[in-house]
Amino acid sequence: MAEKIEKWYPGEGKLTLGWGIIYVILVLGLISACARLFLGLGATTNLSDAYPWGLWVSFDILAGVALAGGGFTMAATIYIFNLKKFEPLLRPAKLSAFLGYMMFVVGLFFDLGQPWRIWHPMVMWNPHSVLFEVSWCVMLYTSVLATDLFIIGLERYGKESWIKFFRDIYIVLVVAGIMLSTLHQSSLGALFLLMPEKMSDLWATKAIGPLFFTSAVIGGMSVITLESLISARVYKRKPEMNILPDFSKGLGIALLVYFAMKVTDLYARGATVWVLDKAHFFFFLELFGTVALPALLLLFKEVRNSEKGLFWAAGLAAFGVVLNRFNVSLTSYGGYRQMSYFPSFIEIIITVSLIALGIVIFDLGMKYLPIYKSELSGESH
Amino acid sequence: MSKALLIDTTKCIGCRACQVACKSWNDLQGGKATFSETWSNPRFLSSNQYNRIIFREISRPEGKVEWHFISRRCMHCNDPACASACPVGALTKLPTGPVVYDDGKCIGCRYCMMACPFQIPKFEWGSAVPLIRKCTFCADRQAIGLAPSCVTTCPTGTLLFGERPALLQEAHRRIGSEPKRYYPQVYGEKIGGGTSNLYLTAVSFEELGLNHRGFRTDLGDMPQGIYGREWMSKVPYVAVAVGGLAVGLHYLQKRRAEIHAQERQED
Repeated sequence: MAEKIEKWYPGEGKLTLGWGIIYVILVLGLISACARLFLGLGATTNLSDAYPWGLWVSFDILAGVALAGGGFTMAATIYIFNLKKFEPLLRPAKLSAFLGYMMFVVGLFFDLGQPWRIWHPMVMWNPHSVLFEVSWCVMLYTSVLATDLFIIGLERYGKESWIKFFRDIYIVLVVAGIMLSTLHQSSLGALFLLMPEKMSDLWATKAIGPLFFTSAVIGGMSVITLESLISARVYKRKPEMNILPDFSKGLGIALLVYFAMKVTDLYARGATVWVLDKAHFFFFLELFGTVALPALLLLFKEVRNSEKGLFWAAGLAAFGVVLNRFNVSLTSYGGYRQMSYFPSFIEIIITVSLIALGIVIFDLGMKYLPIYKSELSGESH
Repeated sequence: MSKALLIDTTKCIGCRACQVACKSWNDLQGGKATFSETWSNPRFLSSNQYNRIIFREISRPEGKVEWHFISRRCMHCNDPACASACPVGALTKLPTGPVVYDDGKCIGCRYCMMACPFQIPKFEWGSAVPLIRKCTFCADRQAIGLAPSCVTTCPTGTLLFGERPALLQEAHRRIGSEPKRYYPQVYGEKIGGGTSNLYLTAVSFEELGLNHRGFRTDLGDMPQGIYGREWMSKVPYVAVAVGGLAVGLHYLQKRRAEIHAQERQED
């Protein structure tokens, strides 16, 4: 694992194997994207009238946004809850959040039947629609994140007077970001409030909004932890082991809260839990393997204090958030639809190349922006 | 007044003239018929097929075989889930009855397909510029005072077009006068908040085996869209609460830090 990651970094301008693979994926992705746009959704995807939503909605949109929850979580931690010691994690969190939302926007672009009309919700309003609210919040929040990165960019070029202007109105951005995130992270779950009759009992709940919000916090925190560990390896820095153990304590608490919420909800609705079929297998994997297990792991001091332990605990938690989004949007319908769905090669390639694009942009950000500089004191670390 | 359709399936002979009339009026391409284990053809509704007759065969234990022909098309809900779901308001319920779709607004997100409890909206998967397609209740014909094309074609009077309250009354009259012929419930009267399509059947949809194929009987009397609207009605309050709390806490922390600094200076 470790060696592979090291190769991602282009050593001394040479094209390494890792970068080679990424470029090949990007070229394949570009070709697939053209095929998708010119041939249409039916010809290039395995979506159908029985499965109108597939891999792109589950991964690019639902999982992508949840994993990008680190941006607002860190902003709240530092500017609202005043836990200043976690400040070194703020800027990397913003960068990865921005990437997550870019993935959402690009993924959505290819998923929409009429992508060139992506701006329609701005002028054609339907305030009854949850999706209408989600599109506005995501649009505004992506702008907030872009402004944030723009300010970091200004620092690189030393535009002090501009920076001062933005610093003065900064709290507006922070509060707007937290508000918009709270709304759309939970509303992405609320999309599924309209179709309880089609979903498995395991995931069809009125509490899906708060559950989505809590798991987005988990997704954000675990991605921040992973980011610190992996980018330290890749960019030959030291991971923030002075604050990560305490930070992961927070992650553990979030996981426990989420576990309690899930169990309470299942119990209150009287859902049939102790059965064994495909849906229940994924359900058990989600609840015990990726919520309870990492929470349990993080109870141990030894785990919190070791890079390897943190990597596994945060990795499991992040995987759990992705699994939950797939379960809610795909597994949940298994017992209902007459047909089954598995993504086509083009669907998979477009999603994988979005991840590759994310890695490229992250690398550019790390190289050209003062990401490891304190926003509060201005010192680099 | 809101127009509706009374579909008395006990009168249907399964001739499928309504399918042909619908294709003809809406300029839809004919499809190639295929053999399958059922008589229904085509097998599914699609962007090219707004209505179809489902053929059901029930063998009674005493050896009698019953045929049932059920016309399937958009229910034209009184309070449609699709209209609550659509982010751009492309789907709307007209006060005159039909649930109509605006080609010019749709962005192709397919949330209506996910939300519809009857699985009605279909997507033009074959097109690079795809739109949603479904029965329009011939809103264009209704606008000039004509009945839907399927109604004018039906040779047996299975389809009765008229005002919803009058049709409901007629439906219950039929059940009352021939209780042996009909299942004593009008599907569409209350389900999902009520629909413009009112079905009279000989047996229940559970017995027909269609309750999981577009004729759900477990939807309750609440329109599905209400769950989304309930959520949306809370959104402004959540926004104000979260925003206010964030601003308040931020200034509280800031003030605390100022006092802390002042105290240090005074020491």
